[in-house]
Amino acid sequence: MTHSDSSLTATARDTDRAAQPSVGRAAHLPGDIHMWVMVLGDLIIFSSYFVIFMIYRSMSPEAYLRAQQHLDINIGVVNTVVLLTSSWFVARSVLSARAGDHTRAIRFVYAAGACGVLFMALKGYEWAAKIGAGYTNSEEFFSFYYVITGVHFLHVVIGLIVLGVVIRDLRNPARRRTSMVEAGAVYWHMVDLLWVVIFTLLYVMR
Amino acid sequence: MSILSPDRYITRADKSPAGRPDVRLVTWFFPVWYAAFGVIICLLARVTPPPRPDVSAADKVAFMTTHALTIQVGFVVLLILLGGAGMTNALVAYQMSRMSTGPVLAYAYIGGMGVGALPGFLLVSVCFLTATFRPDRDPELIGLLYDLGMLSYNGSLGCFSAAYLVLAIAVLYDKNEIFPKWFAYLSIWQIVTEVIATQMFVFPAGPFAWNGSISFWVAVVVFSVWLGSLIFILRNTAAREPVDTDETFQGPTAG
Repeated sequence: MTHSDSSLTATARDTDRAAQPSVGRAAHLPGDIHMWVMVLGDLIIFSSYFVIFMIYRSMSPEAYLRAQQHLDINIGVVNTVVLLTSSWFVARSVLSARAGDHTRAIRFVYAAGACGVLFMALKGYEWAAKIGAGYTNSEEFFSFYYVITGVHFLHVVIGLIVLGVVIRDLRNPARRRTSMVEAGAVYWHMVDLLWVVIFTLLYVMR
Repeated sequence: MSILSPDRYITRADKSPAGRPDVRLVTWFFPVWYAAFGVIICLLARVTPPPRPDVSAADKVAFMTTHALTIQVGFVVLLILLGGAGMTNALVAYQMSRMSTGPVLAYAYIGGMGVGALPGFLLVSVCFLTATFRPDRDPELIGLLYDLGMLSYNGSLGCFSAAYLVLAIAVLYDKNEIFPKWFAYLSIWQIVTEVIATQMFVFPAGPFAWNGSISFWVAVVVFSVWLGSLIFILRNTAAREPVDTDETFQGPTAG
């Protein structure tokens, strides 16, 4: 890419940014449309998993209730609090980025990422404990448990990559865009929201 | 209105052909090939929707005998057309090499899709053709070919994950806006559903079996959305490609 090219895109971006406030608060979409396609589509896919889980559960409710007793609800609660905290950090980082305090925004994203890593560590410990105790996917409830929490785990990994990209962008004054921080936050909130539903369906629902 | 020829499929606003002629041809061929593939697997060979995994050897033999003719017609035609999958991959890789991310990820896409095509298309064809070749074989052996074919065809989806990953990375980092960014996220969904498909090797019945609601049906819906979007995007990007300018791709070795 030539120098004139990059200055051209920079100008275009500046115009974009300048044009944004005139659109007005009501019309503002946090992040970008692409991330919303991802988030809404992903919610539909996960909803289909939840519906299928409920259908199979309704076919043998006693067996599911019995298997559910073996899940450690304490770890589930701690992990829920950890993810909700991380969502709070991400939301704070968006506010800081909007206010132009990028150092603070980066610190909040790091804190959110640390919570994500803690969530994964607890989940890994929980899986190891369950497998060690003999609760493998040979039981239908646990096959749902491992697949649904496993897919969610994969989403946390993707979320950490997204947060990494956000930090990289925030560090570089030429790349900084509030929309990028917002897009990362939108994704991270989705990961959090999905966990709350998974926690309710798998751990809590009687 | 007619889209039956490449020149009418990819057009400018005034209905004249747009883009480069070779790209036009393969872009037109892309949905044609997948349509033929769909007819073969759904109507002729009957592997999609998949026959049940939780049946006896006698039922598996009955499946092969009942559908012997269409299985033979379908899979023999597929063996001839299979290289067309390589042509469709070449087109995606060509468009990827026009992205600012460069041609390495495009090569990775071709390689990744090529790895998946062997268990995904070739092995199931050979298994089912072998089963219908000698229908009086020991029923247990027919049952083995049935299992082997279906596990290979449905369970090998994970082989495509690397191709989807490099595609998603290329689209997300591309500055030339060859593909829209949301398509990268669709490719990431594909990876997730294909990872779940590994469960088919463990479960002969239920939601995670090779005909299961989660491991098969959700994956098929996501794949259909992905493929439909790709057809639409390839057509748009071919129509937007500048002809005979410096921006035109000169081949991977051009400096």
